[in-house]
Amino acid sequence: MPIFNSGEIKIAALLCAVLVAALGPRIAAATLGEPEITVQSDVAQLRASIKTSEDRASYRIHEIQLPGGTLLREFVAPDGNVFAVAWNGPTKPDLRQALGKYFDAFVSAPRPKFADRRHLQIKQGDLVVQGGGHMRAFSGRAYLASAIPSGVNLGDLH
Amino acid sequence: MASCIGPVRAVLVAACCLAAVACGGGGGSGGSGTPPPPPPTNNVVSVIVDEGPTSQSVNTLFTSVTVCVPGSTASCQTIDHIQVDTGSYGLRLLGPVLTVTLPVETLASGNSLVQCAQFVDGFSWGPVALADVQIAGETAKSVPVQVIGDSRFTTVPAACSGTGTAEDTVASFGANGILGIGPFELDCGNCDTVTHGLYFACATATTCTDTTVPNAMQVPNPVTHFAADNNGSMIDLPAVAAGGAVTLSGSLIFGIDTQSNNKSGTQTVLTVDGAGELAITYNGQTLANSFIDSGSNGIYFADSSIATCTTTLTSFYCPGNTLTLGLSIQGQNGVMVNNLTFGVGNAQTMLNAHPTFNAFPELAGTLPAGNAGTFDYGLAFFYGKRVAVAVEGNKTSVGTGPYIAF
Repeated sequence: MPIFNSGEIKIAALLCAVLVAALGPRIAAATLGEPEITVQSDVAQLRASIKTSEDRASYRIHEIQLPGGTLLREFVAPDGNVFAVAWNGPTKPDLRQALGKYFDAFVSAPRPKFADRRHLQIKQGDLVVQGGGHMRAFSGRAYLASAIPSGVNLGDLH
Repeated sequence: MASCIGPVRAVLVAACCLAAVACGGGGGSGGSGTPPPPPPTNNVVSVIVDEGPTSQSVNTLFTSVTVCVPGSTASCQTIDHIQVDTGSYGLRLLGPVLTVTLPVETLASGNSLVQCAQFVDGFSWGPVALADVQIAGETAKSVPVQVIGDSRFTTVPAACSGTGTAEDTVASFGANGILGIGPFELDCGNCDTVTHGLYFACATATTCTDTTVPNAMQVPNPVTHFAADNNGSMIDLPAVAAGGAVTLSGSLIFGIDTQSNNKSGTQTVLTVDGAGELAITYNGQTLANSFIDSGSNGIYFADSSIATCTTTLTSFYCPGNTLTLGLSIQGQNGVMVNNLTFGVGNAQTMLNAHPTFNAFPELAGTLPAGNAGTFDYGLAFFYGKRVAVAVEGNKTSVGTGPYIAF
């Protein structure tokens, strides 16, 4: 059963927001920890586009196609906030935009012992950032551990 | 020849005979007139697994590379501890260790070409410069290389710094440079037509914008620019005891089937896709986005049934007893290599037992569950093997690149 009781209204509102965003001069990508209304992707600046928006049992996913081929997915909780972002493709997305206020914590996190250039495992308080891959194929995700809705499997966040 | 040798002292014989050859050898006693072939290019450079320039490395393979200002035989520098990486493309050098000044490439617009090289855990910003690259006896003339952390371009544009953490010093990079010899020529693939935030045109040192770049100006796997032995390379490493070793020495051999020392023989060819990936089957699951990679320092895969370490090595496995596990590898060409085994040791116990070791064949780590389709078999795969990496489009006696063979 969908957890968005007024689902149609919210989807309409979202599409409206996306449309407004798409027409705006500079549209911020949906940002970790911020409301769904900020699912305003960087269409103008990054020439990105919302590929799909899909309701799952306990969250909603917006999939954004970046022009270089990378997909950025944003996971929205029933409370209306983005609780996770995930990416995969030939290059990494702009994580400053996707992680928003959590970006500084991400880049200032201490480098883990035995780090190599193929893996990313950062945990700073509530923020978890993970990644893998190599040149030509990157994947990763960032989530707020306390914001994950009940019933969501971490394995689904990709 | 006989008249030449006659009364002449032995010490002159060699010079005399060389003179005979130089004269054309038309009257040689053998009558063939064929001059001896030129000596083969030295295509072997030594490689080593050691603690690296930061004394923090594990399962990391290094070699030495000589770079010269193009056309110069005087402005040259040999740099040690360049990481050997089959999972990337191109030679990248850390600016702080460079003592020669390499000329930066200039785009048709007149702007300087600067790169934002992306790695999973960060980015490396620096200009693309031209160098004559020498490794063993091989030379690539005037090839684009990246100079990371170059003092000429210190302002990183937001589009680059937004991809993560800067790795622009030896301390943060963990090496004096990296030699990307993966199975493709270029580090991007379509940067000649699509901007990816990888290459930037800089009108000034602080004014840089994302740009497309002609292929010839991009940073290539330098092996592909060697005059000979340019179709790929082989990494030949000895086996390591399960508990590890302080250091491990082996060879990086250039070319495949180009000389007597790099024959494919009976090697099994596993072709890879456009990202350099193939399938590995582990624990009953076929993981389609898997790769074999000298640049990974462990064996990385997801298996929630294996205990992870609890202190500083939390992304590594720490099983109670060493595990012997199995896997199969399938190339894009459908060729299967079945029933390979690998060990997973307790990372913390191994490190505590041998804190000076730098090669640990049984060091294994986790992948996030979101990467469930990947098995990343790192440098440990190369221990005790000769592994060939053939570059895309090159035909050898056993297959056509891009492939990995062993």
